[in-house]
This record gives sequence, structure tokens and C-alpha cells, in this order.
Amino acid sequence: MLTKHAYSRLGETVYQTTLENGLKVILIPKADFHKTFAVMTTNYGAIDNEFVPRGQQQAVRFPDGIAHFLEHKLFEKEDHDAFDLFGQYGASANAFTSFTQTSYLFSTTNHVRENLDILLDFVQEPYFTAATVNKEKGIIGQEIQMYDDDPGWQSYFGMIGQLYPREPLHIDIAGTVESIAQITADDLYAAYQTFYHPSNMSLVIVGQLEPETVLAWITANQARKTFGPNEPIQRVASPQTPAAEIVPQTTRHLTVTRPKVSIGLRGYDEVPAGRAGLHYSAAVSLALDLLFNDTGDYYLRLYDANIIDDSFGYDFQVQRGAHFAQLAGDTDHPETFVSELTAILDDAAAQLVAAQEQFDLVKREAIGRLIGAINSVEAIANQYDGPLFGGTTIFDELTILEQLTFADVQQALAAFLAASQRTVYTILP
Amino acid sequence: MHVRIRDGVTLDLLPTKKFKTIGIKVDFVAPLQATAITARALLAQVLETSTAEYPTQTALARQLSRLYGASFGISVVKLGTKHVIRLTCSVVDEQYLEQYQDTMPLFERGMALLQAVLFAPLLPNGNFDPTTFTQQRQNLLTAIKSLDDDKQYLANRRLQELLFTGQPAQAMSALGDVTTLGELTANDILATYHEMLAHDAVHVAVIGNVSEKRVTTALAAWPLAERLEPTTEPYYRWTARSQVQAGDDEAPVVQAKLNLAYQLPIYRSDADFLPAVVFNAAFGGTPLSLLFTNVREKASLAYYASSDYNPFTGALTVQTGIQAQNQERVIAIVTEQLQALQAGKLSAELLAEVKASLLNARLASLDSPQRQLTGALNSGLTHLQEPLTHWQEKLAQVTVADVQRVAQQVSLQATYCLHGKETGDANETRV
Repeated sequence: MLTKHAYSRLGETVYQTTLENGLKVILIPKADFHKTFAVMTTNYGAIDNEFVPRGQQQAVRFPDGIAHFLEHKLFEKEDHDAFDLFGQYGASANAFTSFTQTSYLFSTTNHVRENLDILLDFVQEPYFTAATVNKEKGIIGQEIQMYDDDPGWQSYFGMIGQLYPREPLHIDIAGTVESIAQITADDLYAAYQTFYHPSNMSLVIVGQLEPETVLAWITANQARKTFGPNEPIQRVASPQTPAAEIVPQTTRHLTVTRPKVSIGLRGYDEVPAGRAGLHYSAAVSLALDLLFNDTGDYYLRLYDANIIDDSFGYDFQVQRGAHFAQLAGDTDHPETFVSELTAILDDAAAQLVAAQEQFDLVKREAIGRLIGAINSVEAIANQYDGPLFGGTTIFDELTILEQLTFADVQQALAAFLAASQRTVYTILP
Repeated sequence: MHVRIRDGVTLDLLPTKKFKTIGIKVDFVAPLQATAITARALLAQVLETSTAEYPTQTALARQLSRLYGASFGISVVKLGTKHVIRLTCSVVDEQYLEQYQDTMPLFERGMALLQAVLFAPLLPNGNFDPTTFTQQRQNLLTAIKSLDDDKQYLANRRLQELLFTGQPAQAMSALGDVTTLGELTANDILATYHEMLAHDAVHVAVIGNVSEKRVTTALAAWPLAERLEPTTEPYYRWTARSQVQAGDDEAPVVQAKLNLAYQLPIYRSDADFLPAVVFNAAFGGTPLSLLFTNVREKASLAYYASSDYNPFTGALTVQTGIQAQNQERVIAIVTEQLQALQAGKLSAELLAEVKASLLNARLASLDSPQRQLTGALNSGLTHLQEPLTHWQEKLAQVTVADVQRVAQQVSLQATYCLHGKETGDANETRV
């Protein structure tokens, strides 16, 4: 049975249900759209590298990059590649691995049912052999090296590595050439059996679709397969870097035209569970807008003094088990960049009050941008964060944003900053 | 709906209720000239910064926030023999807002903002504000230099320079070159500004839930005089070389970037345009393509290996990220794939798949306001207004022989490799 939630002002409706096997299904029809976009996600990503494999007793530490490797290998089957099956219908397919999730997706303008079966089947019918696993090592090795040559990527992950030196978050999502060399087909099966049970997964479909019909297709597909019982997943809790151990500053030399500076703030406060977590996330993001976006008074001063330029940006991320903010940009004056921005952070509560008259503006902007994102079926689907924020959608996020008050923003920022730890990662030419 | 507002000024209105926003795009199109590219890029950057009414970035940013996060930007694009200064603005359709109290709707506010940017820039004492000018010139300079940090971009730039040696306008990036930029004055930009307003062909396009009357009323307030209709075609036609230009550079990269350039002298209005698009999709334009399958999937030599076809310049490029010592092997595999298509070796399955994929992409573009707005200019420049069904029929009719005929016109012109120091096993150079 689909439960239906209408957002009447937006003219959007979300249908959802959980199948008997535990798979969460979220269906969002978009009238007049040609595209249907589907994304199937497991709550398993790069940081989940130590766990008790399903059916075993002992925790095992797996090679770094295994979740991403598994993502690559799931496409290849004994006698075909899932890419080619999608290709028969002209659909485009892809997949990506983040710290905490792995997602498989397709986009099509026809043959939705056929493509949906291909997606469900290739994700739910693994096939790994020593030969196919070894072949992939060359491709992923090149992928890792491509990112080695990307200074923006190096700056971002360098900063994260500084904030989480003991946690698996400091490891490249794809692993290293050395770590992936150790991955075996058995490792992939162990990870697969543990994390790809339907009860650990969601399927979000947005675009041209009729909810009841699509649900019937999914149910029919799932009825053809048998899954083991839904057992709890036992991840080994990652070690936690004590705040005092976080290195405040690191400088590295790379071939870049200008210095790149990334200031990271790791939150040590507890992010509320479920929908309240999205409220917290939206409130901190809005606080950062007030402190750092281009409507602020300080912005023009730093811009005119050539401390920041159009490359300056910031963001706030909440993931399973970790949340952090980043302020980053290219600058010819890295030391002043750091001292000016940290001065604002040090005085954040007062700075926020000083910016209060911009609150309405900044909130309007965030609302408008989010409404604009509803034009995109991909944005709607990707905004769904599953269990992290209690199954909320982009439409719930809009409601939360509309209701946010200045006091909410003050409170959330204070909670985040009070227990936060900072680092600066600088890349110099 | 395509409307001629006056000589040299057109409007494309794409009415639809499926989006939550109304998108506006204004293209100023001039002949591509090496001497003017840099000045136009800087002009775009300066105009984007402020206006007389909103004299600082902060004032302009606050106005955009007031308009519920209206997005606004000015970019520059090279399109064959044309250079485009493109203004875009997207506003929320206010019916989706919880409360909207302003008497003037957001679309009209957005048009007023574009009008202010275009016709009332910050010109104290009759010229661009010196501080803004100097700062934005510096910003553009660092932006151009920083682009080279992206090694894939850098390798592609170097390839273009090699391919179009002695043809500076084609060789140059749409942002211009740093030497010219350093010498530009506020007077130069002012002259470029007046030139643009007086002579550029103007293509306006609007998409969203808005009536023709509202659009034409807003546009009527813009002081856009009539101008000469452009007489030159947008296609850059050039003579292929008999000798392949080869170039390489050493840079501290872990992964080598090997790029190839070919001539494919088929243009957007040509009868073989669609077969050329199908050829590119089969060669390297899609993940189903021969390049992706053979360089990446079968030989495991690359993470990316793809091709791009530009129907305004008749250039086809291939880009790969590989280990430097595999360069010759990769070139051999790429060449084999081209030769296969030239020999008509294209399976019925792959042909059907790339056609399905092209149809899918075309239909999917109808779900993107930005892509529809961009598409409007292509039709405007090429005078091709083709109904979707007609395009679909033509696509279905493309045969292996058509693709083979296209492939036989492809000739290698340049190869370029950006690579690290040659130390043998690249794995050992990892840090």
C-alpha cells in the first residue's frame, strides 16, 4: 500500500511504502516531464570498511576502497554488462559511492519498466570472479590517478583528512592503488551480502510515472527473488579522533597557479536524529549564509582587499556519523584569508546578530533556490537522504526552511561551533 | 514560438507550466574576432559586477536575494564564427511561494534587473568605474590562469592551439588571452560595450509560465535599436592539413592526458549532420561507444576515453586519461575504432543503441529549462526550426552506410599529450 503525501502549494505528491522484504520505495510523479529518473541506494559507503560479514561471528577489516570497487563490479555479469542492457533502450545509467552510501541510477524517456527491471536485477544479482575483479584494478587505478591531478579535489579531501585522521573518512573513497590490489571476489561477496539486503536499501523514482503501476512492477520483480532474513548490520564503530589531536594547520605544495585554502570545522555535537537533523542542517547552513555569503558587509571588504574572489565558497555537510563545514577559496593572501575568516568564526554569535537584518533576504534566497531545484528530477531524487533525516524529501526541506526563525539559526550555529574543532589545509604553488 | 521583435532582435518564447521557475536568456552575438574576444570577456565580467542602481556586488547580491534567490550571470561562448555574450536570469514563479507581497511579479523584476545591467551600468563620469574595472581585469586574469590547474582542460586547450595554429580566433579560449587582457583599458571596454549594444544580433529566449504579452511588454522597455541582420554563416570552414601536428608537454601530472583532434567537415545545416551525430555517439560520444568499450572496458587503459563533435567548427576531438607509457597503444586502439567505422563495421545493435540514446537525450533536454534556452540560439543562428517528430524520423533513417560515409571524411589533424616525467612505472611516482 502506498501512502500519499500531497504538497498542494507546490503541486507535488510523494508516494511511499516499504516492501515486505524491507526495500523502501519512494515515488514522485512529475507531470509533463519526459524523463524518469530512478536511483537505488544502499546505506553503505567508503567509511564502512570494518564489519561482521553476514553469517559470520568475527569482525573483518576490508581493504580501503571496497565499497567503490563493488559499485564498479556490480555492473559486470557473467555474459553481459548492465550498461549494455540499459543501452538497448537508450537509457543512461551511472553509479556513485560516497562516504556512507552507494547509489545506482538510470535516466530514461521510455521503457521504464524494462529499465527498472535491469536496475533491480543487476543490483540484486551479484557476479564477481577473480578475473573480472583483477581487470577492474587498472580502470580504478586510472580513476584514482585522475583525482590525484585535481587540486580542488586534493584540497577538499586534504581538509577532511585533517579533521578525521583516525576515522575512515580520511581515506580516499576509491582507496589507493595499493589497497585495491588486495581486493578479492570473496571480499566483494562478503560486503555485498552484508549491505545489499533490501532492508538496507531505498529506491527513489521521480518523473514520468504512474505510482500504482510502478509499484506493481517493482513488487513483481521482487517476488521473483528470495532474500535472507533481515538481520541487523554490525559495523565496527570507527575510532574517534579526540578534539585535541586535530592538527590545526597543514601546508602542501602542488602545481597550482594560486594558493588554495580550505578551512574545515568538525562538529563534535550530536546531530539530532530524523527530521530534526534536517532542521539542524538547514539552520546551520542558513547561519553560514548569513556570515559568509555575498550579501554580507564583510564580503565586499574582503573582496575589495583581494582576500577573497569569486572562487570563494562554503558548505555544511551532515553524513552518517560526521558533520563538518568548509570555507574555501583561491587567494594570493592565504594567511590573511585564514585570519579574517577565523575572526568571523571566533565572533560568530555577535556577527550573526549584526547580520540579523539580512535574515529575511538570506532565507528568501535559500527558499527560491530550493524551489528552483524542484525543476530537476535528479535533484529531487538525490535530495532524499534515507534514514539519515528520517526519510524526508526536498519538499519537507522546503517546509522546514520556510519555518526557520532567526532564533533557530542562532541556536543551531551555537551548538555546532561550541563543540567544533578547526583545521586549515593550504595548497601552495 | 519565434518572434522577430525588430531587425536583428528576435524572441523565442517557450511557454510551459512544468517548471517552478521562469528562465530568461539574452544572447548578444558578434562575429568572432581574435582582437575582440578578450575585451568582450572582460566586458561580461564587469557588467556582471554592478549597475548604477546596484553599485557594488553586495548591493546586486542583495537585490538577487530579494528576488527569492534569482540566479543571474553573464558568460561568454564561442560558437563557430560567432562570439556570444550570454546573460541569464532565472526567477521563481511566485505562485509557489508561501507569501509574495510585491505588486510586481518576479518575472518583471528579473527583466528589470537585466535591463539595469545592460542599459544602466555603473558609469560614473561616463566610463566604467576604475576600481571595479581594475579589480575585474585582475579577477579575469587569475581565473584564466587558474583554469590551467585543471589538467584535462589544459590538455584540451593545448590541443585547440595546435589544431588551429595560425588561426588565432579559433585557437583562443572564449575568455581571451592574458597578454591582451593586461593591456585593456576602461576605454576599450566602454567602446566594446557601445559596439555590442549597437551592432550585436540579439536573441532573447524565455521559458516558463508567462504570456507573450508580458514578455513583449517587458522587452519594449529595453532601448534596443534595430540593427543589421548578420549575413555570415556561423560555421567555421577550414582546410585540412596533410601533416599531423604533434605536441606534448611535461607537467607534474600523475596521469597523462592524451588528446587527439580530427577534421569532420560536416556542419549543423548539412544533410549529413544527423549521421555525423550518430557517428560521434558510436565512436566515443556515449558510454556504449567503441572508444569507451575498447580503450576502457576491454583494454583497461583509461578511466575516461571519449569523443566530442563540434558541428559549428567541424572539429572532432578525443580525450583520454592514461599512463604515459601506454600512449602508442591507446592511439593504435583509437585509430582501429575509426578505421572500423570507415570500413562500415558498425553492428546493428550498436547503431540502434546509439540512436536510442540520442533520442533519449533529446527528449530529456526538454525537461531542462537551461538546455531549451540554449537550444533556441542554435536554431536562431542556423535558421533551422525542426519539429521533434521530423528529427526523430530522420534519426531513425540513419544507416550504417551513412555513418560510414561520415567516418570516411574524418582526418587526423593533431595529437597532444600532457604527461609527467618519464620514470617508468607511474605507480612508483605516487606520493
